[in-house]
Amino acid sequence: MSSADWKNYERVLIPDIDGLEKIDVYEENGGYSAFKEVLTDKKKWEGPKSVVDEVKAANIRGRGGAGFNAGLKWSFMPPSDGGPRYLACNGDESEPGTFKDRKIFEYNPHLFIEGALIAAYAMEVTAIYVYIRGEYKVYIDMMEKAVQDAYDKGFIGENIMGSDYSVDFYVHSGAGAYICGEETSMLESLEGKRGYPRVKPPFPAQKGLWGRPTTINNIETLAHVPNVINRGADWFSSIGAENHPGPILYGISGHVNRPGVYELPTGIPVLTLINEVAGGMRNGKELKAVIPGGSSTPIVRADQLDGITMDSDSLREVGTMLGTAGMVVMDEDTDMVDMLWRISHFYHHESCGQCTPCRDGTGWLEKILLRIKNGDGEIKDLDLLLDITTQMEGRTICALADAAAWPVRHTITRFRDEFEARCKKSVHAIA
Amino acid sequence: MAYEFTEEDLQEIEKIKAKYPEVKAATLPVLWVAQNRFGHVEPDVQKLVADTLGLPQAHVHGVASFYTQYYKEKKGEHVLDVCTCLSCQLCGGYDILEHLENKLGIKAGETTEDGKFSIQEVECLGACGYAPMLQVTNDQYVNNLTPEKVDDLIETLKAGKEPEYDQIGMPLRKVK
Amino acid sequence: MPEVFIDGKRYEYEGDHQLLQFILDQGLEVPFFCYHPSMSIPANCRQCMVKVGQPVKDRESGEYELDENGDRVIRWFPKLQTSCNIKVADGMVVHTQETDELVERAQKDTLEFILANHPLDCPICDQAGECPLQIQTYKYGPEGSRFEVKKVHKPKRVQLGPRVILDAERCINCTRCVRFTDEISETHQLTIVSRGDKNYPTTAPGTEFDDNYSLNTVDICPVGALTSADFRFKARVWEMNQTPSIDITNGKGTNIDLWTRDNLVLRITPRFNEDVNDHWMPDEGREAYRVFNENRVSKPAQNLDGEQVKSSWNNALLTLAEKIEEHDGKEVLFVGSPHASVEENYVLMSVANLLGAKNPVFTPHIEEGYGDGFLLTDDQAPNTNGCRALGLDELSAADLKKEITGAKMVVLLNDQLVDRNVVSAKDIETPFTTVFATNHSETSKVADLVIPITTAAEHAASYVNVDNRAQRTVAAKETKYTNRRLDIEMSEGRLDRYGTSFDNWVTEDNKVDCMPFWNFTSQLADRLGLDLSYDTGRDVMNEISEKVPAFKGVSYSEMDANSGIVLEETSDKTVKS
Repeated sequence: MSSADWKNYERVLIPDIDGLEKIDVYEENGGYSAFKEVLTDKKKWEGPKSVVDEVKAANIRGRGGAGFNAGLKWSFMPPSDGGPRYLACNGDESEPGTFKDRKIFEYNPHLFIEGALIAAYAMEVTAIYVYIRGEYKVYIDMMEKAVQDAYDKGFIGENIMGSDYSVDFYVHSGAGAYICGEETSMLESLEGKRGYPRVKPPFPAQKGLWGRPTTINNIETLAHVPNVINRGADWFSSIGAENHPGPILYGISGHVNRPGVYELPTGIPVLTLINEVAGGMRNGKELKAVIPGGSSTPIVRADQLDGITMDSDSLREVGTMLGTAGMVVMDEDTDMVDMLWRISHFYHHESCGQCTPCRDGTGWLEKILLRIKNGDGEIKDLDLLLDITTQMEGRTICALADAAAWPVRHTITRFRDEFEARCKKSVHAIA
Repeated sequence: MAYEFTEEDLQEIEKIKAKYPEVKAATLPVLWVAQNRFGHVEPDVQKLVADTLGLPQAHVHGVASFYTQYYKEKKGEHVLDVCTCLSCQLCGGYDILEHLENKLGIKAGETTEDGKFSIQEVECLGACGYAPMLQVTNDQYVNNLTPEKVDDLIETLKAGKEPEYDQIGMPLRKVK
Repeated sequence: MPEVFIDGKRYEYEGDHQLLQFILDQGLEVPFFCYHPSMSIPANCRQCMVKVGQPVKDRESGEYELDENGDRVIRWFPKLQTSCNIKVADGMVVHTQETDELVERAQKDTLEFILANHPLDCPICDQAGECPLQIQTYKYGPEGSRFEVKKVHKPKRVQLGPRVILDAERCINCTRCVRFTDEISETHQLTIVSRGDKNYPTTAPGTEFDDNYSLNTVDICPVGALTSADFRFKARVWEMNQTPSIDITNGKGTNIDLWTRDNLVLRITPRFNEDVNDHWMPDEGREAYRVFNENRVSKPAQNLDGEQVKSSWNNALLTLAEKIEEHDGKEVLFVGSPHASVEENYVLMSVANLLGAKNPVFTPHIEEGYGDGFLLTDDQAPNTNGCRALGLDELSAADLKKEITGAKMVVLLNDQLVDRNVVSAKDIETPFTTVFATNHSETSKVADLVIPITTAAEHAASYVNVDNRAQRTVAAKETKYTNRRLDIEMSEGRLDRYGTSFDNWVTEDNKVDCMPFWNFTSQLADRLGLDLSYDTGRDVMNEISEKVPAFKGVSYSEMDANSGIVLEETSDKTVKS
């Protein structure tokens, strides 16, 4: 899609329909027909596996940040042994810069519910849990209502729509812990424990919730599923970037005129998103840097952004990732030292404390950055920071240590002059 | 002080337990029930939760201390959680925090003497496009804050009213 | 047979193995903190990093792919792996810190992180000298610290319970203690609280860590975060001797180590025995060190005109010999003891037989409902089954009381019958009673003659536990008449070797004036003209294994080699003589 075409894009995740959050309106607009079709149209959908295959072909890359093909993930579930199997829907959305799934809860909850139901059917799941961060109390209430409405209409429960498929659907509230967005930590939290990520293997598909096969998907990822069923895998994969296709919710925040969540295809040029979609830079300032997909994705300087589009291939060219597509835009006045210290403060605060390198590394990073921010740092601290990031990356159970290390590494590398300028002249530098 | 769940709470707890194959999973939701009832989950409340669910007290304590939204000590009537994380920082979250601290005469982490307000500096609340923002007592978000808006909020709360849900649309979505 | 290559050396294996445990089992080393062989594996300390790869197999032929040199092509894991939680697989290639610089670096990095918030107060820390963190830092850690910012402060000197004290700043969050109360003692009394670098283990507010097994957490704590309230600041590890022994406070026969300095037992810790107590012991067994140190009978005592006065060994020996000669053998009641060793009871039996007395009797010491199905037992004595296997006559408490009140003379082997309400003080006062005792008690108080004998800490002797397992002790502390330099079995620590009487910790004060029961009895036999002479417990056991069918094949060397021997059930329990 050329940058000009974005204006003509027809929204499918959160379309321009008033009152779509109400189940009646959703149904009037074709809602739950995809789920009905996979359950009842045995000619078109020969069974759960055919649904998995279709979704796999669509190549919905997980919208929670890791970008893994959702259908492929579903196919990792072992054959059913008749016991419980779970789908855990990840609505913990806590990565700074990310605020998209709440729009689905608010404006099109049934699309997500339908997608989760189709996924559940495809994986022969017996119960669905949707984990929503505790701060989203308002959206948790909305989801509770939407789920109840779907129960009342017979889309959830025993022998759904006359089929032999039964499933339960529960909403579970978090209580304030970023780490619970990590999929196995979320499972621990669902089980009522401290949110410590689990050692893998075993992977959740083998041993997930209560030791049973479990798949974890992001809310937006599941919300794409009904459209894939209705319109086909080819339709989905023809939208947006070739290797990272489909509609996507961009969350744009920071120094732009019109921050917010936008549904558009993947692969939109970063500068188009900033300058056109989000209404350009606030107060006519110059763009300085962009964090493309949540605070852990490496920062990119404005001068690196020409021709870069919002998909994993293009972003890799500038050493970063699509992440959650929660883009944070910074103008020329942004103090990179302050900004990085605040990101490090976040990861220090949110480290669960299980693994040594993360527990003690995140705090060390923050404390050195605070020292630099306060003008007490030395140039050697910058190299120490880089060393610490190397010591943290890839050494822990989950990716939080990586997420904490990358911003430090890349912000220092890409804005080193600003950091050096904040450091005092080292007393050790005298020959 | 001896805390007790009401009959209504106990019914809700039974409903919660029915959602999961193991009772331990009810820990987080029942802590919420307790906090909604008592306004906090101090040690005695944690004990009540543990006893009600038949779980070890240490387990409930460990869980309560892991999650930031549970108040492990008594807070003010209104807890103002001011986000200063990335996007809010960029858009003046610290200025809002400072304004609020000056207005109420307390620092983040403290409670006013009359027990009306507590201020907490919190991490990203997932409202990055509407920065700076704050959350009132684990409930409503108040977005796109300005000093004036903060002042209005304080007046509203002092008047015994709760802020209303601040619905924010999607910029390009053309609905009424 | 499947094979694995560790640092270039090939090892064959069978069955399922965790890599770290397999490496340790080969006598090799990879540093670790959180892993414990008897508990779940959280892989949270991240210390045991190694580089792991698998050979590539051709899909069609199933043969290993070879490179141009004819070596197997290895596909390495993209990241270093914690060896604790990966399973050994056929053909696996492992590089440890010995052969791989990246692994060495990773381990050093992790130690740097662990030490960042650790107080480094080794000079005042009880754990120093036996601290995995200290040892591994010396071996694998960074030379200095680059941590120039403020350390995290946490609660210190927290009395978690009656026996355990927490220093949260020293804690490295390995979660071993929490896992112990969740998985082993199952009291669930501990949890980690808070998050990130503010994490530490503690109890729920207002509750006590009073688990019957709480002190095991002190043993498994890989740093000095949990210390024993009792042992705290008493001794440096390197000043003590460590001697293997057996818990004598109940019938389980928990394997233990006695830690002595200057002939005082200062602490007791569990010793691994897969078939008995694994790595654990109950807290109350650790209290037994007091039995070895305190309230000991030192030098014989004789009742003269209603008052016990100290007596010489010679006088004691003559008095007892005279009394025995005064009585017909049938008038003397020999009472054995489940609290005494197999050897002591056997020697008592031999004397009784030689004198033509009735076979010795004993009564078990059971407290119904005391046991917990783990390491605490209803049986309060360590050797009830030993008495049975030897063929002593087992009596109920009431019957024993009857026997004692009916006897003219009683010889009682270390059993506090008055204290445990089998007999009254009056019952003992009537006959002429000789008590062989380790400690003063209500029982020894009323005896006519008290002969001090050695405890399990002072002699090598055997005990048969509730599961019929014969195990033995080793002398850990000297008496007035033993010398660790002459007894090759006794351990000799640094202080014993190099200490002089000018040192703080080298005195004669703590050597008790007592002797092994068999030594005193040998002297008695000599005086009485009986054919009985034993030098050591080992001699006694050699005779027992020949004469008592139940003990066939039991010897100290066999018990040592097999961590104890389970006695075979035998119907014939009588002594062949």
